[in-house]
Amino acid sequence: MQLISAQDTTPADALLLANSDDVLALAAEVKRAPVVVLNFPKWTDGRAYSQAVLLRGRLRYTGEIRAAGDVLVDMLPLLRRCGFDAVQLRADQSLETAERTLGILPGPIPAFPGHYQGDITGARPVFAHPLA
Amino acid sequence: MYRYTEFDRQFVKARAAQFRDQLVRNLAGELAEDDFRPLRLQNGWYVQRHAPMLRVAVPYGELSSRQLRQLAKIAREHDLQDAGTAQERGGFGHFTTRQNLQFNWIPLPQAADVMDLLADVEMHGIQTSGNCIRNITTDALAGIAPDEEVDPRPYCEILRQWSTLHPEFAFLPRKFKIAVSGAREDRAAIAWHDIGLQLRKNAAGEVGFRVLVGGGMGRTPVIASLFSEFVPWQQILVYIEAVVRVYNLHGRRDNLYKARIKILVKAEGQKFVDDVNREFDALLQHSPHVIPQAEFDRVAACFTSPAAPLPASAPAVDADAPRAPLAFQRWLERNVHAHKLPGYRAVTLSLKRAGLPPGDVTADQMDGAAELAEQFSQGELRVTHDQNLLLPWVPESQLRALWVAAREDGFATPNVGLLTDMIACPGGDLCALANARSIPIAAAINERFDDLDTLYDIGDIDLHISGCINSCGHHHSGHIGILGVDKDGSEWYQVTLAGSDGSTISGAATPGKVIGPSFAADEVPDVIEAVIDTFRRERQAGERFIDTARRLGTPPFRAAADAVRRATATVAA
Repeated sequence: MQLISAQDTTPADALLLANSDDVLALAAEVKRAPVVVLNFPKWTDGRAYSQAVLLRGRLRYTGEIRAAGDVLVDMLPLLRRCGFDAVQLRADQSLETAERTLGILPGPIPAFPGHYQGDITGARPVFAHPLA
Repeated sequence: MYRYTEFDRQFVKARAAQFRDQLVRNLAGELAEDDFRPLRLQNGWYVQRHAPMLRVAVPYGELSSRQLRQLAKIAREHDLQDAGTAQERGGFGHFTTRQNLQFNWIPLPQAADVMDLLADVEMHGIQTSGNCIRNITTDALAGIAPDEEVDPRPYCEILRQWSTLHPEFAFLPRKFKIAVSGAREDRAAIAWHDIGLQLRKNAAGEVGFRVLVGGGMGRTPVIASLFSEFVPWQQILVYIEAVVRVYNLHGRRDNLYKARIKILVKAEGQKFVDDVNREFDALLQHSPHVIPQAEFDRVAACFTSPAAPLPASAPAVDADAPRAPLAFQRWLERNVHAHKLPGYRAVTLSLKRAGLPPGDVTADQMDGAAELAEQFSQGELRVTHDQNLLLPWVPESQLRALWVAAREDGFATPNVGLLTDMIACPGGDLCALANARSIPIAAAINERFDDLDTLYDIGDIDLHISGCINSCGHHHSGHIGILGVDKDGSEWYQVTLAGSDGSTISGAATPGKVIGPSFAADEVPDVIEAVIDTFRRERQAGERFIDTARRLGTPPFRAAADAVRRATATVAA
């Protein structure tokens, strides 16, 4: 997961989508874009999670999917599991906490042993794993 | 009951630790209150009138005596404050219509410690609040009801796991509630849910789900629509994923009151159904969430009967009844239920008794109920949709002994299904959302109808009380519904008639009809009495309250209610 500073500018050839856009109807534009930026106008508006899942799962998009807007460090585990691979955090967010949340830096949060559901990153549901 | 695997245990502990980190950042000023709120909500922490409220998940209402003892410990050691009236000092829990338990007085700095205590007994507050998929609810008689076609519990557990920390569906437009029933009688009010699932077998004997979508209470009560007559059980997670994804993308986010899926289903009609079916077809081709038989078998093995069949002693119990004390006969009639397994009964521990709000239990009573479960019911309890506890595995031969013990603990009020077995939310005494108080209204009605002979004469009736339009007390589905409303800073109560939760007695699920302008708080007991007297006067042979209310419509009840108005007499004239 790439952490991008709030000050960085968006690449000129990135495709910027509103969270009300129908990504499946934009397949041609998506295919051409090296970066798709999905917007969180409010961090609790969860539409972009489904957009990312459709980009990866249905359109087989392999470029960068970047989260931008009101993005908090506490969203990182969810974003990663929905196919985002880059985030531009809100300016006030702590990079150190972000790295802890992602498990890059050690911290007080023990790692989850996995997740119940499969996800778009290729993780299988826990029930598809042989039992320990 | 479901037995946690090592994975489940580590998962809940990791969640508790994640919450502790967020709490520490919040208390240190690094995580602003506005940003912390949605995170704590998804762990069950509200901030209420007096202190934070913790809503503990009781998945599909199944509780072990060990868990209940831990909840008692939390009530005793953490749910406390040393100021205020007796009611305001805490030390008790409140069971909800969604089969959860709420504490009201735990100080926020102790929140992470309490989550650790819960994790120790495989409990948590995950997704008991927030705009996500909430605790899955089901029939309190799941797995033991004689009218059951398919045991819903393994499916509930698989749904619980799938919905837990689903990364895509943590921030939906609004809360999302799923209820499952596997019996002929609907004891889970499934048509009132965002998704209602009815387990059934098709002509070939295969198990699947009848799927209803888009029910809900609140400001706009809507009964769920039929989306599919039969989704094979293996595909149910995929079908639900399709429904929730379309909702997540298209549900309204501009208006809190129009954000539930029911509004989208109403607004888009067939287009929404088509979108769901298209998404379902696309998903099904590659989905990793088609449930394997081996997984179903693993989970289902946790729900095998903990009890061996016994020689039925039913004649002994029932034939003995006429010679037994009247109180025991009444308890057998109202609080004891038929069982699938020969020689067993299910028994409701009534949490509706004078002096305590509906659904409330003190720490000592929790320990008492745990003790009864250990002694009489294989250590297992259920939380019922109407805010009682239920012992699912009671040998018939021990009913008398259980009755004696339950009476000592105050759990044996023989009123299940009667007027005083009412549903009520905590209301304005505790809840910051409420417009009016529920508890004093419930207490006043309880006091007015304290005579058991009268209650038995009135017979089966659902009285539901909500302190505000959020409808936690399910007033819409009550045969009599009472809704607290706020006008000019004072408390008023709207009364509705002939609502239904969808049970056989109540008829097809439907919201009740309002009988005139709101009443003043002190008029409410008189209004309920006037409505009940009208029923007793007008009923025909064999009619229950709901039958008479439906046959006559609201006018005679409204006239009777208007006749006892005092403060509001001029408003209604």
